[in-house]
Amino acid sequence: MDNLFSQLSTLGSSLILLFGITLLWRKSLHAYTDAFQWQSAALTVVFVIIAYFGRDPELYVVAVFLFILKVLILPRYLERMGKRFGDQRESQPYVNVVTSLMLSGLLVLLAYVVTRPLVLVSDLPTRGGLPLAMGLIFVGLFVVVTRKKAMTQIVGFLVMENGIALLAALATFGIPLIVELGVFLDVLMGFLVMQVFVYHIHSTFESIDVDQMNELKH
Amino acid sequence: MTGYLLEFSQALLALLLAPGLAGFVRWVKARLQNRRGAPIGQPYFELAKLFNKDVVISNNASWLFHVAPYIVFASVLAVTFLIPLIAAPLPFDNIGDLLVVVYLLLLGTFFLALAGLDPGTAFGGMGASREMTVAAIAEPTIALSIFSLALGAGSTNLSHIVIATLTKPGVALSPGHLLAFAALFIVSLAETGRLPVDNPSTHLELTMIHEAMILEYSGRYLALIEWASWLKLTIFFSLLANLFIPWGLALTLAPAALAIAVVTLILKLAILGVVVAVVETRIAKLRLFRVPELLGMSFVLALLAVTSSFLLK
Repeated sequence: MDNLFSQLSTLGSSLILLFGITLLWRKSLHAYTDAFQWQSAALTVVFVIIAYFGRDPELYVVAVFLFILKVLILPRYLERMGKRFGDQRESQPYVNVVTSLMLSGLLVLLAYVVTRPLVLVSDLPTRGGLPLAMGLIFVGLFVVVTRKKAMTQIVGFLVMENGIALLAALATFGIPLIVELGVFLDVLMGFLVMQVFVYHIHSTFESIDVDQMNELKH
Repeated sequence: MTGYLLEFSQALLALLLAPGLAGFVRWVKARLQNRRGAPIGQPYFELAKLFNKDVVISNNASWLFHVAPYIVFASVLAVTFLIPLIAAPLPFDNIGDLLVVVYLLLLGTFFLALAGLDPGTAFGGMGASREMTVAAIAEPTIALSIFSLALGAGSTNLSHIVIATLTKPGVALSPGHLLAFAALFIVSLAETGRLPVDNPSTHLELTMIHEAMILEYSGRYLALIEWASWLKLTIFFSLLANLFIPWGLALTLAPAALAIAVVTLILKLAILGVVVAVVETRIAKLRLFRVPELLGMSFVLALLAVTSSFLLK
């Protein structure tokens, strides 16, 4: 039973990481949104798996919230923003695609190294997924740092948040429901604030390329 | 003795199945595009036709141009002896492991590229340089993705890997296995000249890779090269099918088990053929400059596969 649990949770975590890495390969905002949506769906499934095997009914509620927020609402908002700004391709990120793929591979290796002591002492059935979740956080941060468009940076932030949620779920089998709800509210608020910012950036600079933001003396 | 018989019948089976598989993929693709499509047996007729035709060769071509088709065909044919197609412990296991398989495949590619350069045509050179670009990134990925399986099995021998997966079925769902499968699938498409990398059904000058190299070939040479490339497709598909989902493979030499193995092999190849046809219908060809990005992606997947199977052992 535990064996199946650990297998499934590791499998789910690697799928989630996989969607995070596909992000680096894609260029259009639509593809970014798509990858994020799939990743969130996979995250929901992992939550359900943990709820079932960890016998924690509260996690089902969390999974439902997660599904509504990250699979239904946020991607739709992202799509709407993308439509409004027209074609926003991440055509020239600071680090090119091949290099960022290689670097993300290295980041995941780093995550394995960092979490190794934790994995060694832990006897959780889900410990196999811990390095993957940590790797996803790194990859999300990497997207935020290396992409130029404000929109893609937002997706990077959301991916990083997914990584944190996954890490929390794998390491603790679900933090209290009230904390989880607070986190969701935070993500939603953060997203809305960033959305407002992006609109402002766009109306001031007529572009959401953050590279152009060094001319603040307008 | 029966072991050697098995080896030869396995190679013969692969040889005979290869054109059928290519024809099947073409047929499914045609149906998906609302065309009637050529019958599945069409590649056999093509081979028969080409073998009966005369060879026309440029005056500038050297001996290399004559030898290359045989080397290409022989190196791919040799691989069919080394991979578990229908039965797992093979008598030729000790001759070559996965490294030999990978580099035999690369040997064929190398000579094909040389032959593309040899007559000195513009397209041949272009195709050769493109093919080597793809191969240079694809080969380490193949090796790495199979290595991740080898790490789990504790041996680089393909038969041992298969048997290890059969004895511990849980491994088939491990992340290393899945990532390696994804990596090998992408690389298979690239190495066999399928769609996101190269379009097998056109002679569009600016985009072709494989077709550009063999543009100067005709007659039986062309037949050998075409057959070798179909055989390569069959080899990659059966590696995908048998290394990752080895069930159905015969572990004994009993006739019943072998019959089941042949049927499951054909079934697996057909399923993969349908998958490839669907993929090819749904996606467009990548721009040439994006191909290294796709292959870089598959390399990272393979790297992660190795990492996870090494660290989660």
